[in-house]
Amino acid sequence: MKVLHRFGGALLLVVLVMGLTACGSNNASDPTADDLLPILLPVGFVPDPQFAPLYVAIERGYYREEGLAVELDYGFETDGVALVGAGRRSFAVVSGEQVVMARAQGIPVVYILQWYQEFPVAIVSKTSAGINSPQDLAGRRVGLPGFFGASYVGYAGLLFANGLALEDPINEEIGFTQVEALRTDRVEAAVVYISNEPLQLRALGEELNVLRVADYTRLIANGVITSEEIIANDPDLAARFVRATLRGIADTLADPRAAFEISRNFVEALSDDRYPVLEASLPLWDADILGLTNPGGWAETQDTLLQIGFIDAPLDNINTAYTNRFVEQNQPNR
Amino acid sequence: MTEICENLGNLRIIFVMTHLHWLQRLPTWVALIISAALLLLGWHLLAELGGYDSFILPGPLPVYRQFLIVAGDGRLLHHTMVTVSQVIPGLFIGCLIAMPLGYLLAKSPLAERLISPYLIASQAIPVIAVAPLLTIWIQSTYWSRVWVAVLVVFFPILINIITGLRSVPAELYELMHSLQATPWQIFRQLEIPAALPIILAGLKVGATLSVIGALVGEFVQPKSQGLGFLLISARYQFKTDLVFVVLFALAAVALTMYGLVVLLERRLLRWQTVSR
Repeated sequence: MKVLHRFGGALLLVVLVMGLTACGSNNASDPTADDLLPILLPVGFVPDPQFAPLYVAIERGYYREEGLAVELDYGFETDGVALVGAGRRSFAVVSGEQVVMARAQGIPVVYILQWYQEFPVAIVSKTSAGINSPQDLAGRRVGLPGFFGASYVGYAGLLFANGLALEDPINEEIGFTQVEALRTDRVEAAVVYISNEPLQLRALGEELNVLRVADYTRLIANGVITSEEIIANDPDLAARFVRATLRGIADTLADPRAAFEISRNFVEALSDDRYPVLEASLPLWDADILGLTNPGGWAETQDTLLQIGFIDAPLDNINTAYTNRFVEQNQPNR
Repeated sequence: MTEICENLGNLRIIFVMTHLHWLQRLPTWVALIISAALLLLGWHLLAELGGYDSFILPGPLPVYRQFLIVAGDGRLLHHTMVTVSQVIPGLFIGCLIAMPLGYLLAKSPLAERLISPYLIASQAIPVIAVAPLLTIWIQSTYWSRVWVAVLVVFFPILINIITGLRSVPAELYELMHSLQATPWQIFRQLEIPAALPIILAGLKVGATLSVIGALVGEFVQPKSQGLGFLLISARYQFKTDLVFVVLFALAAVALTMYGLVVLLERRLLRWQTVSR
């Protein structure tokens, strides 16, 4: 009887172990958590539906399929550039002008995927102000968050592209109070993020004129960077990350509502009134070849930074600041 | 063996003490120059031999070159004066509010019971969280920055005022009462002189904190002016050498403010030997 009990116990144990093993891995190609390369990805300051493509790529396992365990690291953009340049992060999401400024200081970062095909900054005004073209900005009070950042670079780029100088409008730093400043007529126009403040103002009943920076310039906007070292020594890692990210962008463009629902898992208390923000971002991302960057835009970005004084001299070779090699080889099926 | 080790140890002590004694006879300014030179050398060696990229840790020479640029074109002086113009009023207003309130809390147990809990709780609120609210409530950028400095310096000065007033020995009060002194005479001829050393110690702390307060205000509202804006701008352009220049400038402002309070202390406490 004791022998039977011991045999039965052993048999039960074997069955349990086999069962647990079977449940744990039902796909030979599904890597376990231990096989994944952890990637801490610096992005913007706070979780937001504008990061939906990344959320989709994480949630649908695209990074996992490439052997990557991606975790988003919310913080300052400049920190992301410095961390990648120092080799402490593999990738980061930053605006294009950051790359030029970084390389001007010897930071070896390279732009490998242009997520935003259009610069997401605009100058918005009430229709009653009569600012219908960039030339109308001369002599008018324009509010901007500050004399630094992508919004300032975009604003300057728009002025320079239209033969204006930074001093032609009457510039006023208003921080991030553009909506209040316009509503109270403290300023006549304001530099805004195209998928944010205009939506808020229209929701408040304002009729607006919107001068999009992308209509006048080809400034390089937000995208993915990596280090020269990774491109030289581990290009496959860059290719895998780009491939998964492009899939996330493609899926978001194909079904933004689903992407928004996925975003709820990453953005605390995400309300439905934020969906228009994602909707307004979609045209900025779409392109025949997703993620492709325009060489002409880099020259223009560098020229703008030179005129502002954010860099002292042009780079030895601006074309080393970016590469389209990874996006061209890893386009998703659409 | 033990005796030999003890003797060696004693010799070491004598050797060190001899040299320490020699160093102690150096004038302060010479000692400062030597220590500064050693620090610069250590910094240079760390930057050169540590293999750090310049955007992570620039050496003293690149920082000095950047200093010459921003000092030469006037930016450093301009932004420093903007920050100083907020630091001084911030410290002054902080003292102005702390002094009467400190006297009230020191003299009135009821006032202390009613007000102290709120004052202490307010210190748990980080200034960086309040600063953006101040910029909304106070339309003026300048005054919103000044009031951030006030918030930072107020509490340490207040605590020192209370401590200083309460440190006046009871026997001295008895003496004054026995001499039929009026409350004003007690305040002017006993409380203020007796509490002044501790109050001025708080002012020294406040003087350096006021720089931090002004900087926080400038971080929240850069307005393209002030050392805080210059710091943000330097970070944005990855000019770490300029970041270092700004940090040194901030240190210089803080040291100057501290030094001014020390001069004030020597003037006000001439009648008292200040022990080192």
